[in-house]
Amino acid sequence: MLTVSVKWQKELLKVVEVDTSQPPYVFKCQLYDLTGVPPERQKIMVKGGLLKDDDDWSIVGLKQGQKLMMMGTADEVVKAPEKGPVFMEDLPEEEQVVSLGHSAGLFNLGNTCYMNSTVQCLHSVPELKSALVKYSHSGRNNDVDQTSHMLTVATRDLFGELDKSVKPVAPMQFWMVLRKKYPQFGQLHNGAFMQQDAEECLTQLLYTLSQSLRSLCSSESIDTVKDLFGIELASRIHCQESGEESSETESVYSLKCHISQEVNHLHEGLKHALKSELEKASPALGRSAIYLKESRINGLPRYLTIQFVRFFWKRESNQKAKILRKVDYPLELDIYDLCSDELRKKLEGPRQILRDNEGRKLGLKANEKSSSSKDNDVKMTDAEGSSNASGESSMTISQEGGPSEKEKHLTGIYDLVAVLTHKGRSADSGHYVAWVKQESGKWIEFDDDNPIPQREEDIVKLSGGGDWHMAYICMYKARTVSM
Amino acid sequence: MSDPKNDAGTSQPKAPANDPKKKEEEDLSEEDLALKQQLELYVERVQDSDPGLQKVALESMRHEIRTSTSSMTSVPKPLKFLRPHYGTLKSFYVTMPDSNLKNYLADILSVLALTMSAEGERESLKYRLLGSEGDIGSWGHEYVRNLAGEISQEYIKRQSEEAPIEDLMELVQQIVSFHMKHNAEPEAVDLLMEVEDLDLLVEHVDKANFKRTCLYLTSAARYLPGPDDMLVLDIAYTIYLKFEEFASALQIALSLDNMQHVRQVFTSCDNQLKKMQFCYILARHGITFELDDEMVADDEDREALQDIINNTKLSESYLTLARDIEVMESKSPEDIYKAHLLDGRASTGASVDSARQNLAATFVNAFVNAGFGQDKLMTAPADSSIGGSTGNWLFKNKEHGKTSAAASLGMILLWDVDSGLAQIDKYFHSNDNHVIAGALLGVGIVNCGVKNDCDPALALLSEYISKEDSSVRIGAIMGLGIAYAGAQNEQIRSSLTPILNDAKAPLDVIAFTAISLGLIYVGSCNEEVAQAIIFALMDRSESELGEPLTRLLPLALGLLYLGKQESVEATAEVSKTFNEKIRKYCDMTLLSCAYAGTGNVLKVQNLLGHCAQHLEKGETHQGPAVLGIAMVAMAEELGLDMSIRSLEHLLQYGEQNIRRAVPLALGLLCISNPKVNVMDTLSRLSHDSDSEVAMAAIISLGLIGAGTNNARIASMLRNLSSYYYKDASLLFCVRIAQGLVHLGKGLLTLNPYHSDRFLLSPTALAGLVTMLHACLDMKAMVLGKYHYILYLIVLAMQPRMLMTVDENLKPLSVSVRVGQAVDVVGQAGRPKTITGFQTHSTPVLLAACDRAELATEKYIPLSPILEGHVILKENPEYREDS
Repeated sequence: MLTVSVKWQKELLKVVEVDTSQPPYVFKCQLYDLTGVPPERQKIMVKGGLLKDDDDWSIVGLKQGQKLMMMGTADEVVKAPEKGPVFMEDLPEEEQVVSLGHSAGLFNLGNTCYMNSTVQCLHSVPELKSALVKYSHSGRNNDVDQTSHMLTVATRDLFGELDKSVKPVAPMQFWMVLRKKYPQFGQLHNGAFMQQDAEECLTQLLYTLSQSLRSLCSSESIDTVKDLFGIELASRIHCQESGEESSETESVYSLKCHISQEVNHLHEGLKHALKSELEKASPALGRSAIYLKESRINGLPRYLTIQFVRFFWKRESNQKAKILRKVDYPLELDIYDLCSDELRKKLEGPRQILRDNEGRKLGLKANEKSSSSKDNDVKMTDAEGSSNASGESSMTISQEGGPSEKEKHLTGIYDLVAVLTHKGRSADSGHYVAWVKQESGKWIEFDDDNPIPQREEDIVKLSGGGDWHMAYICMYKARTVSM
Repeated sequence: MSDPKNDAGTSQPKAPANDPKKKEEEDLSEEDLALKQQLELYVERVQDSDPGLQKVALESMRHEIRTSTSSMTSVPKPLKFLRPHYGTLKSFYVTMPDSNLKNYLADILSVLALTMSAEGERESLKYRLLGSEGDIGSWGHEYVRNLAGEISQEYIKRQSEEAPIEDLMELVQQIVSFHMKHNAEPEAVDLLMEVEDLDLLVEHVDKANFKRTCLYLTSAARYLPGPDDMLVLDIAYTIYLKFEEFASALQIALSLDNMQHVRQVFTSCDNQLKKMQFCYILARHGITFELDDEMVADDEDREALQDIINNTKLSESYLTLARDIEVMESKSPEDIYKAHLLDGRASTGASVDSARQNLAATFVNAFVNAGFGQDKLMTAPADSSIGGSTGNWLFKNKEHGKTSAAASLGMILLWDVDSGLAQIDKYFHSNDNHVIAGALLGVGIVNCGVKNDCDPALALLSEYISKEDSSVRIGAIMGLGIAYAGAQNEQIRSSLTPILNDAKAPLDVIAFTAISLGLIYVGSCNEEVAQAIIFALMDRSESELGEPLTRLLPLALGLLYLGKQESVEATAEVSKTFNEKIRKYCDMTLLSCAYAGTGNVLKVQNLLGHCAQHLEKGETHQGPAVLGIAMVAMAEELGLDMSIRSLEHLLQYGEQNIRRAVPLALGLLCISNPKVNVMDTLSRLSHDSDSEVAMAAIISLGLIGAGTNNARIASMLRNLSSYYYKDASLLFCVRIAQGLVHLGKGLLTLNPYHSDRFLLSPTALAGLVTMLHACLDMKAMVLGKYHYILYLIVLAMQPRMLMTVDENLKPLSVSVRVGQAVDVVGQAGRPKTITGFQTHSTPVLLAACDRAELATEKYIPLSPILEGHVILKENPEYREDS
């Protein structure tokens, strides 16, 4: 009988008797009693080797008082999970998009950055996407001409492709159809396609889509595009000379922001643009007179598009020149004071709820700071909370989607979701880029085939005043409340 | 360092000689005029025929000269006034009959020659030898210095003529003894080095000056060529031993890599405490050393000492340090990436796992939590309900990624063999070969630098090296290589060498076997291993020779001769017979390894020459040549700075394959030492248009900041992570670098140099060099399926701490001053050794170039260099002030 000491993990089993007449397995069983490690899991190290169950003790050469080391645990053996994780590298391409967090870029087909950026901006409107998905070949109505139909289909296919791929997409089909429908985009200059105005592209595209998508649901007479982008304007036309007054309503797809010496901020530009002077024949005076046209918004869209009127025709240089003036625009836009009285009344309720909601949210955070919720400086607190709130609100809207639409009420408050910028000195040159907010709340700069993540604070820096990219079209998304 | 005496010998005499004579006379004060006339009178009298008068004149002249030599700033007046008469006296000397007086005159002429002798004439020496051989010091310091300069010139001349030198040596004796008595040890050493007779020094050192002498010797050794440096160190060793400064003697023995000397230190010292300190020094150096009963008689004492050498308590003191600094809490890779500081640009929180990024997280987690025994991915409580539990994270890695994941457990439990093996054990029973391979590698990593009586690593791994699956085999083989680096274990050699020449073994198994053998026999010049690797190289087919993996074979061969200089020549000769595809690569690798850490300028130039050539496409040998420059030049500061500048040139004029290696070379030169200029260069290169240059630069940013938590590098890397967020390969490199910067949460260093940059740990360097060679072909190795080669840096990982312990080896907190090290070699008096210091209490972290000194007199350290573990002894003479 020898006695040895066995080191196991941090423990030292001091006196363990070894019966050298029995095989080592018996010794292991002894250790099993002491440590609870089953013999088959035990690894006993004897000077540079492992002790086997059927070793001969005499060969092992055990000495009295020798120190042995045992390795082994009674722990459960690690098993691979039945369903291994899926790795991004193994995924098919379309699923990699999801993990990428943004959709693909578009190849420039030769001065088509205006088109690419327009498409990227529109692509960020989920409602438009779902409407397009519903549009099918068979649904073609007779009032839609062939080319419009083809353009709609091309748009739908392009949107689908953008969602599916990780790598940049070449919008060949769309580009061809667009040129067919609107030959002005196929203008050539020195054998190459010319740069075009992105605003024109957007307007035409929206017009075509509104035509084809309206006809689809003719039975319900819902105009998807108008519903999404259409702005009802109520105008009062007033002639100072004669005192004549008339009113008219119109529907537009975008608000203009006029830029002049006094305009430093988007809000001022919008106000400016809603007041205009026009010359027309006055029936009372029997000659043409100056009329003052004052418009108010009478119906709000879900997506508010604003165009900065940066380009004007410069006769002397015979080109569309650009106003580089810096015009700030906010991430959160409130157009309450541009609305008609009628609309204001409608907005009152939802706005109060929104205010309460946000007040509550902030109040919770700031230990029931009840005073702030009542105060008139809600706006300020709004602004503080906007960065978190905007992300969340846009999420909720997109989730709830179609069916609950009716319960959603507009509030007149809008969040910036896309900016189309232009860099360069004239409309027919330079470079267009789209900056789009993703559903995750991150901003991506779509510079043709190259999507680049950007920070939110850099987005508001695109307000002009230099040779950097400057906002040309802004797209805002309505913040809604459910009642 | 040998400049001063030459300056004194040649340039001084001429300076005032050209002054117009007239002006001189005008300016003279009355006193001076009197002196001048007096001296002129003496000169005249000397030429008198009356010997009595002559004698008086000489005596007075001599008196005048001796009393006036005190001034150091200008030529002494008597000498100045005697200058015009030098020629007269010289010619008179020739005519004089032999007599005492003639000797007297010779003495005076010898002194006058100090300022008058034409260059190269060595008249001072000539007349000295002819003179009376009186006390040399009586003529002043300047005279002796000048004489020393002339002796060394004369010595060279006589050597070439094979003339006798006895008379010179007698003079040398006198001069050395004079210097040594007058705090001019460097001059004495310089002179003796010139006349190649350093042994003389031993007789002249005494208790007061031996430290300064040895300090000068050891630092001069770095700049000496060939065998001279060894000789100088040997003298220093002898002197230290003579004055029983054993710890310093041991350090020199280690730098000589002379185990006989190490034994001698142990046998000559009979103090158990001091021996313990020796053991700590040996343990830090990372060599395997067995004590026997001759060195330590008592069994129990020996066991205690051997335990220290075996690093069994390293984990414990590392954790003590961590607790003291309060960094025990585990960090997750996200804590390192700090993505929240990069809002917007960072990749969006991916909903799907990326295998590459998870692998990066595995490495980051392993590096950051290295040695802490706990982390948030691998060792987190196995509660399967929570997301990041053990099993889950392992299986969040793909195929070979699981190998690195399982092995990372070894890194986390580094040095803690007992609990490490217990935790790794469960992976041995996995049915996935990749996991088993990782577990085997993990066992090797846990045992890195730690030896155990039972040899658990050998016992566990040896049965796997002949398994069928090659990933399991590689795991076991690499594990052995890491666990037994430098051990020169015969048993492992006999089981590994057959694999090298096994025709059926796949290339990767052979390559890793060679590397492991190279690590185990690092710097041993072992013939058998060298033979086996050479045969393995010769057996490779033409196509295999083109594989990046094959390039590990020459490296393995080089590791065998790491730092062994000429010993490599026989093998280098053999390498000339290799296939031309690998021949030059092999040449460069052998050369750079053999001279690694020597600072040999000639070899650096040789390697630079290779880099200057513009090659055909497909040649790869310039990569190792560039790394070689760093390996050779990293030995001392001056050479290091010079080679940083040379590498800068290579960047501008070199070919692409050179540019790819330059960042890695910079990384090695400044490892764990983030010099700002290098950081800037690497930062610039990290945006290079060539992605391989950028990758190498990024990894090197990690290397230079390794274990420093350097905020500037950390923020650079953070920005790079957003810059390269789309490029998976570059992002992987950025992550690895981030992990390296926070290595061991900033408690570890990768610097293979330690003990005041004096000693080079061969295993540490071997690990780093292998890792860097793998990085030369990033795509094939690190980004391919051999990423676990990154774990080789574990060989260089050491806590960068100063831990003071009492006589029972229990941690003892005392206040120390830590500051920038100052080079005090050859400086007069007792200069401050550190500057800009702060006072801390131990344990304390030491940055690169930091030095510590005790701030209290209460204790006496047993090691001259305060680094790593230092045993403190109470100072018996200490009295509390109050």
